[in-house]
Amino acid sequence: MRGIRQLFVNRVFLRIAGLMIGGVLIYASLDKILHPDRFADVVHEYGMLPLLAVNSFALAMPWVEMTTGIVLIIGVWRRAAGLLAAALSAAFMIAISQAQLRGLQIECGCFTVSGMSATEASWSLFGRDALLLLGSVLIWRRG
Amino acid sequence: MTTGEESAGAAEQAEARVHTMALIVGRFPHACRAAVLVVFALAIGATYNALNPLGIRWTRSPDGRIGIPRAFEQRLHEIAAPEALKALEAGDAIFVDSRDEKDYRKDHIPDAVNIPMRQWAELEADATKRLPRDAKLVLYCYGGACGLSTRMGKRLLELNYQHPIVLRRGWAEWTEAGYPTAQKPRRKPK
Repeated sequence: MRGIRQLFVNRVFLRIAGLMIGGVLIYASLDKILHPDRFADVVHEYGMLPLLAVNSFALAMPWVEMTTGIVLIIGVWRRAAGLLAAALSAAFMIAISQAQLRGLQIECGCFTVSGMSATEASWSLFGRDALLLLGSVLIWRRG
Repeated sequence: MTTGEESAGAAEQAEARVHTMALIVGRFPHACRAAVLVVFALAIGATYNALNPLGIRWTRSPDGRIGIPRAFEQRLHEIAAPEALKALEAGDAIFVDSRDEKDYRKDHIPDAVNIPMRQWAELEADATKRLPRDAKLVLYCYGGACGLSTRMGKRLLELNYQHPIVLRRGWAEWTEAGYPTAQKPRRKPK
């Protein structure tokens, strides 16, 4: 237990976690940035936002992902970026869990919005986002 | 109150605001930096969206649809079921069922071809061979906002199709109106 605690405050570990989460966020943002209309379709299918907010969210969120990813990789304002990454991960977890609980069979929209055969929102993705959240919170709290 | 007193009061208020801001930044430095990052991201995103040919409006298109690129607003039309029935009777349109195959097998609009949008990535090459680019294509899906057929319409426009048209409330509207289907071809409109 103490070893895990020490690992979580280890500078090298946190730096590597930042690089990995940053890379994931940048990769996840690319297709959404290229095809905002398709991402808007995915956001709409989740059924969480009022119609008027769907386009705005689809336009803004990928750029927040991209900016957060870049900042995590560069390493400046890393704790602020960790906070943003944690907020994004928490939002993804809420979106996926409510879709699962409502029985929606929808595209995840996590990494691609172009395939139309992309991964469906599922509990395994929820678990992946939980890991992302854990890493992000560690970066935010421990820097 | 004299002008001098007023300006002194305003200066005090401004100083108080600066002091409050400094307190907030001091208390929540990471949250404040995160807010700066969000503002930066929004600025970049807004600029990119304005320049992107496939950019979308921040709220919705003038006819109330969401997720429609500005470039397609005038090209991706929607029609209601009565208009689609006319096209079916005139025989001047190809009907494309974008629902899943199992639902198409249960019933569909007469002579409609099935191209499930959820499998578009695998079916795109075949679909473009089957559908002539200059044909009038009436696309339909389950109902509601008909996201699948709207998606198909957008994709077809990207592939230089000339006349994709979305049946607004899809299969739901068609069957509610009692229009003919493959299983019930003689059913008359209510």
